[in-house]
Amino acid sequence: MKQDVVLHAENITKTFPGVKALSEVSFDLVKGEVHALCGENGAGKSTLIKTLSGIWTHGSYEGSFYVDGEEAKFQGINDAEAAGIAVIYQELALVNDMTVAENIYLGHEPTKGGLIDWNKMYMDASELLRRFNIAIDPTLRVGDIGVGKQQLVEIVKALRKESHILILDEPTAALTEHEVDILIDMLRELKTRGIACIYISHKLDEVFTISDRITVLRDGKTIQTMDTAKTTQTQVIKCMVGREIDNLFPRRQGTLGESLLEVSDLSVKGPEDSIDLEGISFSVRRGEVLGLGGLMGAGRTEVLMHIMGAYGTRLSGTVALHGAPYSGKDPKAAIDAGMVLVSEDRKRFGLVIEQSNNFNFSLSSIDSVCKFLGLVDVNKEFRRNEVITKQLRVKAHSLEVVTGTLSGGNQQKVVLGKALLSEPEIIFLDEPTRGIDVGAKLEVYELINRLTDEGKAVIIVSSELPELMGMSDRIIMLSEGRLGGEFTKDQFNQEALISAAIGQ
Amino acid sequence: MTKKFSIRDYTLFFAIVGIWAFFAVMNPSYLGSRNLSMLTIEISTTAVAALGVLLIIVCGHIDLAIGSGIGLFGGIAAVLTTQYGLPAPVAMTIALLAAVAIWTAMGTLIVKERVPAFIVTLGGLLIFKGLFWNVIDTSTVPIVQGGKENLYSILTTQYLSPTASYVLTAFVVVALGYASMRARASRKLHNFQLEDVEVAFYKFFITAICLFIATTVLIEYRGIPLSAIILGVIAVGIYVLTQHLKFGRYLYAIGGNEEAAHISGVPVAKVTIGAFAIAGLLVGVTGLLQTSYAGSSTSSVGDLMELDAIAACVIGGVSLKGGKGTVMGVLAGSLIMASLLNGMTLMSVDPATKFIARGVVLTLAVWMDVRMNKS
Repeated sequence: MKQDVVLHAENITKTFPGVKALSEVSFDLVKGEVHALCGENGAGKSTLIKTLSGIWTHGSYEGSFYVDGEEAKFQGINDAEAAGIAVIYQELALVNDMTVAENIYLGHEPTKGGLIDWNKMYMDASELLRRFNIAIDPTLRVGDIGVGKQQLVEIVKALRKESHILILDEPTAALTEHEVDILIDMLRELKTRGIACIYISHKLDEVFTISDRITVLRDGKTIQTMDTAKTTQTQVIKCMVGREIDNLFPRRQGTLGESLLEVSDLSVKGPEDSIDLEGISFSVRRGEVLGLGGLMGAGRTEVLMHIMGAYGTRLSGTVALHGAPYSGKDPKAAIDAGMVLVSEDRKRFGLVIEQSNNFNFSLSSIDSVCKFLGLVDVNKEFRRNEVITKQLRVKAHSLEVVTGTLSGGNQQKVVLGKALLSEPEIIFLDEPTRGIDVGAKLEVYELINRLTDEGKAVIIVSSELPELMGMSDRIIMLSEGRLGGEFTKDQFNQEALISAAIGQ
Repeated sequence: MTKKFSIRDYTLFFAIVGIWAFFAVMNPSYLGSRNLSMLTIEISTTAVAALGVLLIIVCGHIDLAIGSGIGLFGGIAAVLTTQYGLPAPVAMTIALLAAVAIWTAMGTLIVKERVPAFIVTLGGLLIFKGLFWNVIDTSTVPIVQGGKENLYSILTTQYLSPTASYVLTAFVVVALGYASMRARASRKLHNFQLEDVEVAFYKFFITAICLFIATTVLIEYRGIPLSAIILGVIAVGIYVLTQHLKFGRYLYAIGGNEEAAHISGVPVAKVTIGAFAIAGLLVGVTGLLQTSYAGSSTSSVGDLMELDAIAACVIGGVSLKGGKGTVMGVLAGSLIMASLLNGMTLMSVDPATKFIARGVVLTLAVWMDVRMNKS
């Protein structure tokens, strides 16, 4: 097997001012294998990837690594690409308004006499797609094909350069289960062609489905490399967090109180090209966690956004809070009435990324630290926000730290803190654990328990069925903007939920 | 944790020193007491307009109509005073109310109807210019009748007596010292990054000395001009508004991420329209100051002042994308713009070269900023 090692890293150490991001990490990748890289945020996965892909140039780290037996001394991304390494990041780098073929050949358009040879481009693109068994029309606009297929286009774009080492950083974070399946099929196809993959994901189910070996990083060190077939999820998690976790979803059921929010027969017209909702009814009680499931595009986020007053126009139906009709028109009214939304897209709807933690914490609750005439009592504000920083265990030197510089998990905590400071009764959590590590996930789950213990109501949206089933007391599934089914705890079962989601 | 002294933080300071040194060499009377008095008044007008546009840029919009507005509102007050015989304070109040009303209307159009600010204010630029020329009938309308001073004319001709000037400067220095000590104590309490004690002290010390020297020089001519006091009051007001009021928080939130602000319960429309209303008021004030400084309302008053105001903001570090910018930065930017224009006028540089110089400085400033942020 030794001669098949395509990438071998030896004792790589990378130091940033004050932090040792990688400490003598060794790692190897064999031809045709999918090698998963697991670890919590800040464990050093990104730093390792950036080293391997030439972003941290040769000389800025200690140790060395070899591609196909030759020492790599990359001076930039181009060198890494030339050596056959392609990286696909979580955030796709495609141009929505260009076609699939244009995107694949972006920056490398085939030309004839100085003009773009469009025929050749489209022929080559369809040939390339066919070679990987991907059924996508190269003349379609990328913006029209859906995130899952975009991911495939991104991979094809990377492989066009004849790469034989593919690094995928959280490729499934935004994909539906079906799209994940297509991606996994494609990776299997690539394996048979001898392409080696480094696969980074927080979703252990996928890691176990697709990978051959797993290497766990923790605090910048390699903890262990395991054969996937010979290990278990519990074992991997233990390596990642450094301690035993007996319960992944520690839902603690509380006592249910009166009904807080009642939605009946809600029909909503969305803006153009977006989702309409039809005849949706549900309610949630004090101390209860209601799970809201469904495929991507089923209208989960849209229901919550509509109740908050930030999506679509209502055609019919009513919303009642504490048994009284609620008719607020904008998020401000909703927050004043005791509702709050933690959005799935924290960069877009959650945070002012260039501002400080203090600023972001106070965004929904500045009124409670104002004196007269809207004058902010800064000391009172700092004291309050220091308390929430401690409570949520946000890792930041001071309140003044710019939120955008924090890790994903810590940013999410700031969004949660902002929501909690508005003193809500009903909390909408839209994919609250997306892209954050196991440790931070557990903290979010504990927070949910604490909220329901305090008699608040929580509605949680999640694409991950184990999480949805693990943390909800009751689940409703949406399917194409309609109610697909309602399930009590004893009826939770993956197959039943999926069939409700696809409308059967 | 303390912050080290870095040249980068003082770029604007050195730019100003450089500009002053250059013009002083070219024409020694640049730093003479008479010219510095003129310069102070010119800074006041540029800075008041720039502080207004600061609010608009911070919440993510732009204002191109300032220059025409300055002409128009100055013109309205002049016509009401000298042609309709209204008392100057009444005429000025009417002009300011008109300014607030018109800017509120533009803000409403931008927020409620979602017409881009660039278009609305570009339209405003043309419309107000036309209205302005109609109001003054494309002639020269004096602001006083029969050579008698009124509130309108003294805006730029009134000076504080020497004693009052020194008392005011002393008061400002003490207030600055007190405010910075309080802020320091609060930052220390909450574990924020602190400036080195020595650096902080020298900064305060140098500021104090500069203020006293400036006061002495101004007194040599006539004293601290009234317009500088107007600027001071407005600058403090805008500082408090942006840094200590809920309104300011919301302003930066909207400019930084409007969607997140909306979902978080920020009343986006109300705050944005409010920003336009205040900017309108400041455009009105600038109109009065500028027309008063010119002595009469003529069709060229306010020409291109929108660009000077925007340039002052950008030079002072205000991000055109919104969400970033401070009062101190804008004041420094205004100082640079006004110093340049004043120096070139003093050297009798021809108008063509003046245009080119203004453009070069603006482009250079932004380019340097981009470069420095990269490294």
